[in-house]
Amino acid sequence: MIGLIKKDILVLKSNFKILIPIFVIYIFMAFQGMLDISTLLSFLSVMLMMSTFSYDNLNKWDAYAVTLPNGRKNLVKAKYLATVIVILLTSLVATIVSFIITINKGENINYQYIFITLGATIFATFLFQALMYPIIFKFGLEKARLILFILIFGLIFLGGFLINKIDFSFLAAVIDYFSNFIVLILLGLGLLVLIGSYIVSVNIYLKKEF
Amino acid sequence: MNALEIKNLNKKYEGFELKNVSFTVEEGTVMGLIGENGAGKTTIIKAILNILTNYKGEILIFEADNKKNLNIYEDVGVVLDDMFFPEILYVKDINSIMKDIFTKWDSKLFFQYLEMFKLPLNKQIKTLSKGMRKKLEIITALAHHPKLLILDEPTTGIDPIARSEVIDLFRNFMQDEKCSILLSSHITTDLEHIADYITFIDKGEVVLADSCPLLMDNYGIVKCNEKEFQKIAKDDYLKYKKNKYDYEVLISNKKEFKKKYDIKIIDNITLEELMVLMIKGGK
Repeated sequence: MIGLIKKDILVLKSNFKILIPIFVIYIFMAFQGMLDISTLLSFLSVMLMMSTFSYDNLNKWDAYAVTLPNGRKNLVKAKYLATVIVILLTSLVATIVSFIITINKGENINYQYIFITLGATIFATFLFQALMYPIIFKFGLEKARLILFILIFGLIFLGGFLINKIDFSFLAAVIDYFSNFIVLILLGLGLLVLIGSYIVSVNIYLKKEF
Repeated sequence: MNALEIKNLNKKYEGFELKNVSFTVEEGTVMGLIGENGAGKTTIIKAILNILTNYKGEILIFEADNKKNLNIYEDVGVVLDDMFFPEILYVKDINSIMKDIFTKWDSKLFFQYLEMFKLPLNKQIKTLSKGMRKKLEIITALAHHPKLLILDEPTTGIDPIARSEVIDLFRNFMQDEKCSILLSSHITTDLEHIADYITFIDKGEVVLADSCPLLMDNYGIVKCNEKEFQKIAKDDYLKYKKNKYDYEVLISNKKEFKKKYDIKIIDNITLEELMVLMIKGGK
């Protein structure tokens, strides 16, 4: 299975040249205060993993990979583990950039703020990917893109609707109450959702024909 | 021992059906799978390799069920039509990935083959020509010392010189008596050179299965005029084709035919002619 994770990392490495300009633009925007560094993190890790699916798809890697002795379950597992690795790496970059930005502005580093934002973004990224992967495994990348597009707009619409209807101020109280552990809770929850998504994906993938 | 055994393989798609396909590849032999596009060759190979999951029938590789025992794929080398590593990867990346996938992956052998076929180490797969890419796929299939090679159209798209190099590589592989090959090909001359057995698939069914040398010895094409053709009993030929000036009649036993009929021109057959007559010929 290590070979399979390596494959995704090597694909990203080969793709890195194309990604560098995007990366530089993001960091520049973060420095200018145009967007939060955590948004960079979530965008980047989702984009990176999507690109691995896209390259797999282009050369029908999955059909080839299921003929190797690793088994289908490990193929799915490798994808999820690569995802976690990529998120950890981008988180590291995001944290470092956050620190630099704060120091650059001559402000004191607000650790709590940085880590809570980071935790929340990792949580959101995990959620998004947990939702996305089973759809990709089931319908393929092309259809999955469309489904996700509709889903995300649906969610934004629903979110907007709910914000007007429901008073969310209790959430602030909840976050305040758990403030010391909130990052850990978010990460734990995110991981749980990802594990659930993995189980669904394995079941889809075991039956899939290429 | 059988390297591969397929028993009553059935698979249904919309507009296509694989019907009760059964055949065996004995250890130490090369089986050629022939048939026109869409006949079902790739579907059979996909079932053997677990690329398909929903089919009926039993497939045994080294006498173990292919669905229950994934370890058997340690001993199988695979070349598929158009399915491989993401082309953005570098040639050398294949080695670093595969050495963690196959326990018997032989990096030294892989690099040796690359050198032998003059394949560049530090280039992305996408920069390789079609022929070079095919060679890379074949090398990748060989570098973990497999005992069974399963090859779908391995010589398509490569020039005659590279093709003969590749065929030599397969011959070399077959020096070990425990090694076997199943290969499908449109280029039937390649099969004439290397195959011990031929299985002919048409519209999802096995229509002919025989030893390749025997087939070449016994089968023939009778060339005759209409008058002579009328005299041939229906049981004595398999198919015929009416040309502008003559008839081409496919027979399965040249010796018997010569004894029975006084027709002078009986040509030896090529697999290509056999394929064309079997598919296009009338009865």
